[in-house]
Parts: sequence; C-alpha cells; structure tokens
Amino acid sequence: MQKIIVMLCILMMASPAFAAVKVVATLPWIGSLAKEIGKDKVDITTLVKISQDPHSIEAKPSMIAAARRADILMYNGLDLEVGYLPILMEAAKNPAINPGNVGNLNCSIFVDVLEKPAAPCRCNGDVHPLGNPHYHLSPSNMKKVATGMAGQLAKVDQAHADFYRQNAQQFNAKVDAKLKEWHNRKLKGKKFTAQHKYFEYLAKEFEFTILGYLEEKPGIPPSSAHVQALIYSINKLKSDAILTTEYHNQTIPRFISSKTNIKRTVVPHDVGAGATKDWFTMMDSVIKALE
Amino acid sequence: MRTLIRAALFGAVLLPLSAVAADDLDLRLKKLDAEVSRQAETISNQQQTINEMKELLKKSQSANPAGTEDNSTKNTGFFGGSLLNNPYISLILDAKGYISNQKNSQLSERGIAGYTTEAPGLRNGFNVDAAELLIFAPVDPYFNLYTNIPVTSDGAALEEAYVITTNLPAGLQIKGGRFKSNASRLNGQHPHAWDFAELPLAYRSFLGPEALGGDNGIQLTWMPEAPVYTLLGFEALQGSNPLLFGDDGNWGPHAFTAFARVSFDTGDDSTFYLSPWAMFGNTKTTGILPTDPITGNSFEMRGFSTLYGMEAVWKWKSGHQKLTLQGEYLYLKQSDATLSEIDTNSALVLSETFKRSQDGAYLQAIYGYDRISAGLRYDRMEIFADTFERGGVKQSFGSKPWRVSAMTEYKFTEFSRIRAQFNHDRSERDGRVNNEGILQFTFTIGAHGAHPF
Repeated sequence: MQKIIVMLCILMMASPAFAAVKVVATLPWIGSLAKEIGKDKVDITTLVKISQDPHSIEAKPSMIAAARRADILMYNGLDLEVGYLPILMEAAKNPAINPGNVGNLNCSIFVDVLEKPAAPCRCNGDVHPLGNPHYHLSPSNMKKVATGMAGQLAKVDQAHADFYRQNAQQFNAKVDAKLKEWHNRKLKGKKFTAQHKYFEYLAKEFEFTILGYLEEKPGIPPSSAHVQALIYSINKLKSDAILTTEYHNQTIPRFISSKTNIKRTVVPHDVGAGATKDWFTMMDSVIKALE
Repeated sequence: MRTLIRAALFGAVLLPLSAVAADDLDLRLKKLDAEVSRQAETISNQQQTINEMKELLKKSQSANPAGTEDNSTKNTGFFGGSLLNNPYISLILDAKGYISNQKNSQLSERGIAGYTTEAPGLRNGFNVDAAELLIFAPVDPYFNLYTNIPVTSDGAALEEAYVITTNLPAGLQIKGGRFKSNASRLNGQHPHAWDFAELPLAYRSFLGPEALGGDNGIQLTWMPEAPVYTLLGFEALQGSNPLLFGDDGNWGPHAFTAFARVSFDTGDDSTFYLSPWAMFGNTKTTGILPTDPITGNSFEMRGFSTLYGMEAVWKWKSGHQKLTLQGEYLYLKQSDATLSEIDTNSALVLSETFKRSQDGAYLQAIYGYDRISAGLRYDRMEIFADTFERGGVKQSFGSKPWRVSAMTEYKFTEFSRIRAQFNHDRSERDGRVNNEGILQFTFTIGAHGAHPF
C-alpha cells in the first residue's frame, strides 16, 4: 500500500500538467505583465533589475544560465536590448528561444511604434533605428502587448490557452477602467522638458507636449551651451517640470531646476521603481508625478 | 366717419396682407427650421464619415497584431538592426601613439629572455596596427557565421572565419572553422576589447603578443542545465601558434584545449567567474631562444607542451560605478623535449635534452564611473616555477620579469574611446628598463555585437 502511494506521488510530480512555463523576461514590466497573464501557470525570471539602466546592461553568465532553462524568452525589442540579447540567445544554447520560434517573443511587434527615423545615423548619437522603444508607458500599447503575449503563451502552453486569454482580457478591462481615471487627471496641455526620449508614448496618449531634451543627442550628455539654451527656452516657454528617471545622473537636472525655478520630477521608469509593485501602481505613480 | 372707413379699408387690406405676411413669415421660419435641421443632419453625417475615416486610417497605420506581413521591418533581427538579409559589417580602427625611453632599434629586438624572442611591435611615434573588419550574420536557423579580418598596410589577414551551431539539443554547441581559442577569456578577446593596450606578460611569454591567435579547428562546448552557469569545452586545433605549438609540415592537428567555466552572482550587482583551462600538444618552435649573435645559429625546441591556466574575475556594477578585479595564473611544462642548435645551412650542430617549467601571473583592477575608467595591473613571471634546463644544466636569465601598468580611459560614446597608459616594464631581465607611454584611440563603425562577460 505504501509503495503504491509513493509511486502515485512520483507519477504526480512527473506529470507535465504541473510543470509551470519557464518564462525569462528581460525588463521588469515584461515580467510583471507575464505574471498578470500567466498567474500560477508561469515561473518568471526577470534579468534586468530595476536599479539598472536598461540601455547599458551587460550579459552576465547568470542570465545565460537562466535563458538556458527557459521555455519562452520575452523582450522589449526595438533594439533596446541589442547590447546583450544576441549574446544571450546564442550562448544560451537553447533552440526553443531562437528567433522565429514560439519561445522567442519580441513584444514590440504588437505595438504602434513612434519615431522611426527616416535616415538613422550615429552622427545623431545613439539613435534607435527601429523607433522609440519605451512603449511600456502607453496604456493603449500595453493592451495590445497583453493580448499578443497571451497568444504567444497559448502557443507554448496550449493546455492553458483560454486561461491566458481570459487573464489578458481582464488586464485590458482594468486598463480601460484606469484610463478613465488617468484621463481625468488633466495632463492634457501640459509642457515638460525631458532628460531622455523616454516619455513620447505617454505624451501622445495623455496629450501633453515635450518641449525639449537635456540630452542633445540620445545617449550623449549635454554641453554647457545646450544647458544654457535649455534654461532660456524653459523660462520663455514656461515648461511645467523637468522629467527624469532614477537611473539618470541628476546633476544637470538639479542645476537647471535651480536656475529656472521649475521642479525636477523623478518619474518611475519601470515596475519596481519607488514603491510600485505592478504595472498599474507604476502608472499611477507616473501620472501622479506628472500632475 | 370717412377716417374710420379709410382705416377699416386700410386695415382690411392690411389684414390679408399681414396675414399673408404672417403666413409668409411663418412659412419662411418653417423653411428656415427645416433648412437648419437638414444642415444639422448633414453635419452629423459628415462628422460620422470623418470618424469612420479616422478609424480606417488608424487601422491601416496600426500594426497587424499577429505581426505576420510586417515582421521583416518590425523584427529586431538577431543582432538588433533592421537589415535581416544583409550581413552585419563593422570596422574597428585602433590607433596608438607610442613613446618609449628605448630607441626603435632596441624596441624591435625586445624579447623576454627564456620565453620569447618576439618583440611586441610598437614603434616610437604613430602606430596603426590594423583596422579590424568584422562581418557576421546568421546563415540560417542552424548556424551563425562570424569573420574577423584585420587589414594592415601589408594586406588583409583572415584571423577568424567560423560558424556556430544554434540548434543542437541538450545545451551543446559546436564552433568550426578558423577562430581564436576560448580556453580563456583573454585568448578569445579581440585587441580592441582588451582592458589595457597589450596582453599581460604571461600571455606574451608563453603564447605571443596576440595570445594563441586564430587557428583552424573545431570546438565543442556543453552547458548543462544547472542552477549556476557552468560550461565545459574542448578544442582540437591545427596548432599554428609559432611559439607554443609550431608547424612541422607533417603534423596534422596537434593542439588541444580543455576548459571549464563556472559563474554565479554574488549579489544583484556583482558576479564571480572562475575558469581553469589547459592547452596541450606537440611543439616545434624556434621562438624561445634568439639566434646566436656570432654564429647565426638558431635553436629549435621539439617536445610536448602543457600550458595550464586558472582565471578568476569579479565584476561589480551599480549606478554610475563599476569595478572589475581579475587575476590569472599560467603554468607551462615542456617535457620529452630536445633543443637543437642549427646553423645557417640548416645543419644540426648540437642536440641536447630540454626541460622547462615556468609560470607567471597577473593581477588587475579597473574602476569606472560613467564614461571614465582607470586601471592598474601587475605582471610577474616565475612565481613558483623557474626551471629551464638544457642538457640537464639549469639556465639562468637574470632577474625575474615583471611590469606595472596604469591606464585611464574615456569613452566619448559607446563607439569611440581614448586611453592613456603608462608601463614600467622590467621584463627584459638584463637590467634595461622600458618606460612606455601609450595613447590609444579606438573607433567603431557599423553594427558591432556586444562583448561577452
């Protein structure tokens, strides 16, 4: 009798229905969204920590080891992870996550991409030739990504396809409800100066304007001439605030803020910044910071 | 009475007129009303059409959620970059300004006694060793192809041209073609990725200024599923490195390497990496001892070599700062060996037994803040082992070779960099010091993949 119970236990543990889908996500928001859609059916490893600048990540061996075990690799795309993702995918020696397979999800394929430069050139700094990659701050795009992500998870784990799709629908319904709330916060018509081209999707969705950037060219810190020009234009055009994120160097934003008497706002850049624990609380903090 | 009749008549005429007029006004008002309501309807219809057109425009502009037809432009491709069907090409220019207390004639003869006769090659003044051309792309779902072609003023050389498999199961991967050995991190690095302007003394002493270099062969690596990054590798190479292996003309592949790597995070922001490795195979070289200045005779060593290495790296990166600590120990053993003195007519003059076991190590630290970094390195040979025996007689070459290097580096962007380095080099062992100042510039154009850990 005991032998039978032990055998049954072993059989149950070996049953594939109990194996969670191993998801490896690059950025915190992707891991957070995958958790909303997969709930207990997914086991998520997020590679980039919230304290790290997403533009300057190095592929660590621990990331390669995680990708080795993954059933599906999810990433932001639009070249944001070009500094480490290709190495990761090749070194992981895991054919499931190779480009073109169901285990490789580039979340940007569902997105309405902004700012595709007509003629990308490095003389303009570290431009993103495929467009602005920071679409996770756009509720309308997040809904599309949620639906797409559920579809991809359904391909990897067909047994729970309906579960993923339902969770995506619930997520989207919650986004719609929150959107009403956020639109009431009257961000429309505000004018900001941003440190980096991080807030374009947010600006489009909530109809505020970005007057100028601290970075003259993407990825290149401003010259003193540019800083003076910014101070002049901020005073003239009456910018409401300077928008920056916690991984940026705060010296120049502080300096400009002191010379123009406008506030310097640190906006949460991803899930986990500040006290945010999921995408909704992150967006709540973002909208609150912009008010 | 007449006025009354006149008034009445007037009124009678006016009344119908006013009635007509009133009717007229009414009619006109009614007509106006109808017109207004018609126009309101038209306006609302037009607004509806405008909204519908907006929807259509939105739909045609927005991506197809399944991402099928638009994938070729939306897909970031394997290396990011939208040119899926064209190879990725990049060119790296590495230029150095060099100054030394030694003259060029002395620099060109600068070997390390008991190890190598080859001079590093930098001359006082402007040096552009090579422009490295890298061409790489996925071949198909099964292979990725990489080539590294250094172009010098003498022509183009093929340093690397190899494929890597991408579809093998169980964590296996095969690399085949011509490639730099991955037996240690420094063996696999291209010069523009070095932390200093040159490789450590131990590498130059046992392998040459570019480590093992590009060689033809095959590599098998296996990364098992493990909680901690683990990699095992084995290489079989032709063995063309002139210092450690050499070419007999009759030999087939006679250089082999085996390596293991382990790495784990020591925190959210730091990683430790450890790698023991070994290279072994038959050797035939005239690169260890210089030709006799009087007779012109050269010295050829034949035997079996084993080079062991142990590499340890600790990397920390947080916010704007980063720190890398790195050290490596190398130990060479050459046994079953003969040293033959050969004259200028290729006739054998003398043959004696040869035995050698020497070691060396380096230790370096590099600290970075945003775009600036500074590094310090100490090189030292013969720490525990300094046996060099000819015919059973131990040879002595002078004081132990060592060197100290200090460098500071500034990155204008990810693609351009300037480095200033000072070396106090006491590796020549005869008391002659080499104080070197190097100003190095590195520029990259094109699509260049990131470097591994």
